[in-house]
Amino acid sequence: MDPASGEELASSGKSYFLLHPRRFGKRLFEVSADGLHNRRMAMLQDSIIRTGRAVRPTGLRAGLLWALLLLPLLAAASEVTTEHVTARLVAERDRIAPGTSVDLALVLDIQPGWHTYWRNPGDSGESPRIDWTLPDGVTASEIRWPHPELIRVGPLANYGYSGRALHLVSLAVPPDWPAGTPVPIRAEAHWLVCEEHCIPESGILDLTLETAGTPGPMDPEVADLFDVARSSLPEGEVLGARVVEGDGGLGLSVPLAENPQLPVRGAVSVWFFAGSWGLIEHAADQPWRIGGNRLEMDLTPGAMAATADPEGVLVVAGPDGGSRAFSLVAERGSPPVSTGSTGGEGLSLPVALVFALLGGLILNLMPCVFPVLAIKALSLTSGQDEGAGRRALHGLAYTGGVLLFFGLLGALLLALRAGGAAVGWGFQLQSPSFVALMADLFLVIGLSLAGVVTLGARLMALGGGRTGSGLAGAFGTGALAALVAAPCTAPFMGAALGYALTLDWSEAMTVILVLGLGLALPFLVLTLVPALARRLPRPGPWMEILKQGLAFPMFAAAAWLLWVLSVQTGPQGLALGLTAMLLLAFGLWVRERTLLGSSRLRRGGAATALVGLVAALWLGVSTEGLETSAVRSGADADEGRMSLIAEPYSAGRLAEIRAEGRPVLVNMTAAWCITCLVNERVALVTAATAELFDAHGVVYLKGDWTNRDPSITRYLAGFGRTGVPLYVYYAPGREPRVLPQILTPGIVRDVVAGSAEPIPSH
Amino acid sequence: MSRSTLKQGARAAALILIGVFATATALAKPEVGAPAPDFSGTDTSGRTWSLSDLSGKTLVLEWTNHDCPYVRKHYGSGNMQALQREATGEGVVWLSVISSAPGKQGSLSPAEADVLTEERGAAPTAVLLDPEGTIGRAYGASTTPHMFVVDGSGTLVYMGGIDDRPTTDPADVEGAHNYVRAALADLAAGKPVSTPVTRPYGCSVKY
Repeated sequence: MDPASGEELASSGKSYFLLHPRRFGKRLFEVSADGLHNRRMAMLQDSIIRTGRAVRPTGLRAGLLWALLLLPLLAAASEVTTEHVTARLVAERDRIAPGTSVDLALVLDIQPGWHTYWRNPGDSGESPRIDWTLPDGVTASEIRWPHPELIRVGPLANYGYSGRALHLVSLAVPPDWPAGTPVPIRAEAHWLVCEEHCIPESGILDLTLETAGTPGPMDPEVADLFDVARSSLPEGEVLGARVVEGDGGLGLSVPLAENPQLPVRGAVSVWFFAGSWGLIEHAADQPWRIGGNRLEMDLTPGAMAATADPEGVLVVAGPDGGSRAFSLVAERGSPPVSTGSTGGEGLSLPVALVFALLGGLILNLMPCVFPVLAIKALSLTSGQDEGAGRRALHGLAYTGGVLLFFGLLGALLLALRAGGAAVGWGFQLQSPSFVALMADLFLVIGLSLAGVVTLGARLMALGGGRTGSGLAGAFGTGALAALVAAPCTAPFMGAALGYALTLDWSEAMTVILVLGLGLALPFLVLTLVPALARRLPRPGPWMEILKQGLAFPMFAAAAWLLWVLSVQTGPQGLALGLTAMLLLAFGLWVRERTLLGSSRLRRGGAATALVGLVAALWLGVSTEGLETSAVRSGADADEGRMSLIAEPYSAGRLAEIRAEGRPVLVNMTAAWCITCLVNERVALVTAATAELFDAHGVVYLKGDWTNRDPSITRYLAGFGRTGVPLYVYYAPGREPRVLPQILTPGIVRDVVAGSAEPIPSH
Repeated sequence: MSRSTLKQGARAAALILIGVFATATALAKPEVGAPAPDFSGTDTSGRTWSLSDLSGKTLVLEWTNHDCPYVRKHYGSGNMQALQREATGEGVVWLSVISSAPGKQGSLSPAEADVLTEERGAAPTAVLLDPEGTIGRAYGASTTPHMFVVDGSGTLVYMGGIDDRPTTDPADVEGAHNYVRAALADLAAGKPVSTPVTRPYGCSVKY
């Protein structure tokens, strides 16, 4: 708008006053005084219609004063103060590399009691908008909107923000922009601010970004702002949502099995914010309930319910006062067939139970479970002189052991879930002391199988030895089978447990127990059906050879666990773990050598073994402290330097970044995926990689598959994968490139640096 | 407990009940293609208007609040007055409705409303004062302006915004597609209204 044409300004209902550029440095500073204008207009009208409402025309002077006070701040960002709002335009970095983009935020600090609006303002009001003036080739994205709050005004309702409104925009600078030449940015922002009555305000915000071959560091002064803005953006898409127009109502139905990320169980409130006007009555209550493993919401159809885009944001408020938002695009559907069934979508409970049983059966074949069970089964054949009834009791005790352990693990998992922790099956592996002690256990079982040591009756029972004919022994074998099965099978059970965790606790526990039943079933059947047991091969010397051979999977498991430990705790932890194993093996060996000696020798041997065991336990447990210290020292070392910041993966965000022409690395990971953690520690979460990514403007998107997430499953399937890790690098304008499953810093450096556009020299 | 406290308690309870009732009934939801909600209202001169009396005539209802920037956009630019003249010239009855509660923005006495009409050169058939918000709630009027068109048979044929430029900038009047003008033209041509529902934009009605 040409400031010279005063008439046009007046007629447009806007007035600007300009501070002369030369007088106040190079930045042009303009303040819109719409509010002021409106008040003057109102005063004029008041003088016609009413008298006695005093309006002091102090706005102009106050505005000038503000302008002078704010001048020093202008070096960082342009700022405009109107009657009800202080508007700022801030950049996450002051310096940007050509060919990359940077996030900007339009920040509106709103006077208490007033509010501005979301992209759908609700029953009245207007969304803020930004008219950009940018150099050729520089582009600004659409606004990314944090989720709004519901603002009730009489019988009406608005969607908007109070206190502070943050509007995120990505600004992309083309690769051919000459490095060193600043990028001038001008945003003419318009917003409506309302208490009960409304005032349109606007401001011209100027910002200049420096450019160079490498982007500047994140601006720490605005980091919090961007953190807050991003944390209230919708997190990801709700899948499989449907809206159904029924008798006078609009039902929104969300399958929870497909959306384990939705924390609706235990939620204090769930609210659907429609993305466009007319879909729903904004002010109407939204009763919601959970039934048939679906979230059902009763919405009141709006004036265009049949045609408006069934899209919006679902905001779930937890008991801790925090809320999370999820974007939701529903499909229009016909009402479900009213047969009382829960519908065909997702897993129904009976189907899940069948899968759980099958999964449990498969667990018997796991490398660290099978030896235990094989030996146990063989003990049956040698004990054929025992009565059938005794054998059946044996099988039942074993089953009881499995179920008890699964029950305990399930209860722990559900308790952690109730506490809000994001846990997956195999979460126990995240504890180094658990890993160390499991490694010790596998070593001892392996030594026992190999015949290096013969353990006492009780321990042998645990190891599946033939003397374990006692019911307690059978029970212990069951518990052991479950214990060793759990960590070995985390990747397989992840999906089933992910489903189980979306259920009520009683249903979840049923699924978990049926999984255990599947594990116990082969042995149980063997003990219950004597005909089957009789078909097992006759005992003979081959059993000893098989037993010794089976020691090696046990050693392999111990080796794997040691490796996990080394990842978690570094060299010190590995040293502790190996020392523990050495002491344990030595103690057992001494005991073995002294078994046939005098009673004093035997006692000495047993004491040595006990000392070895206690020392191993102590060393194992002491690895626990190491983890935190190792992590802490790592963090300390990185402080002051850069650290790699991951954004959560969503298909939308990936598309957005690619559309902006920025390179992006996608990392699909899970907490129970040890390889993933190693890769991250070694090649990604390092200062060197952070600097590398920063220099090339690479965005790091991280998808967490710890719990079931269909959007990640689909992404994996897109690359022919069924599991994590998966690393994909998208260079701008090129086909995605899948990186190896074992990452090194070199691989990451090559792929990022190799694909980077040459930086223009000027 | 004294008699007066009891009485006060009863009054408070009644007020709460009314409050609950008012919230629960909230806004009605008229539907296009269905009979428009009947109403009865008093204009600035004390004359009573009701829908049933207007049978056979096309009716435009315009919710207004002179202090609302969106209303000012259309009066400041002369857009609303022009449309009023055009419509009333064709025999359409145009009622401007003020549903602002007493003391709230836009609330006017009959005399003030007449002065305002004269000052801004408005040309509605009449200005209805609806301080209790009865007509507003019956029509689900949520914004100022919020426009409704009722045909001669009493059927609601249009509800929504005045045009397709939801801003406060008077410069946007030119080039905007005016839904009310289009609806009236469709009616005059004996055609169904092509765009019967749009998003009303503006300030909230100050019930």
